[in-house]
Amino acid sequence: MRSHFAHLVVYSAIIATFFSALTRRDRREQLRFGGLVFLGMAGGVLLLAYLMFPFPR
Amino acid sequence: MTETGPQAGRATVDVSSGRTAVALVAGWLVPGAGHAVLGRVRRGVLFFVLIMGSFGLGLAHDGRLALYAPREGFLTALQLVANLGVGPADAFARMSVYGEAVYALPDQYAQAYKPLIETFRARQRSAVSAYGTAYLWSAGLMNLLLLMDVWDIAKRRKD
Repeated sequence: MRSHFAHLVVYSAIIATFFSALTRRDRREQLRFGGLVFLGMAGGVLLLAYLMFPFPR
Repeated sequence: MTETGPQAGRATVDVSSGRTAVALVAGWLVPGAGHAVLGRVRRGVLFFVLIMGSFGLGLAHDGRLALYAPREGFLTALQLVANLGVGPADAFARMSVYGEAVYALPDQYAQAYKPLIETFRARQRSAVSAYGTAYLWSAGLMNLLLLMDVWDIAKRRKD
């Protein structure tokens, strides 16, 4: 797997699932927290990538 | 502070220090097993899948199996901790990659130095090595966090 985006999604999903299961007990809370972590990681990276787009070097 | 929310009131069980020790050792040997020993089997299985999945992805993507080098002692020691967190699986990975469970760079004049450093550098040159290293080290660090979680459960700090 060489796609940076695919790695971003897989890695974010692993970390989000891990921390939601580790820190939350209620299923709804897990989904909410896991979703937030996933969006924070994946969305944050995409946002950063767009911000850096005008400065390729 | 009063505990609120759905987990409030869940029965916690007294855990003997012997069982705590067994849970900690089992948790290091097999990620998630510590939770299973303390009765959190489903959670343990989920953690096992996540950590070993991350570890497997790391190996498949040429992640760095760190070697202690005195010249960069502190950094390489931290890398080793991240690798070793995953338990004996790390030793098996080293055997399969380096031919033996080696954890430190030998002296550069030693016979074993050249093949070892060549394997190490070849993996580092791989285009996907950075991804693999992130997966590998995350697996080890996640398992170390799990051991702290096992300790907290055993000490009734959480359920």
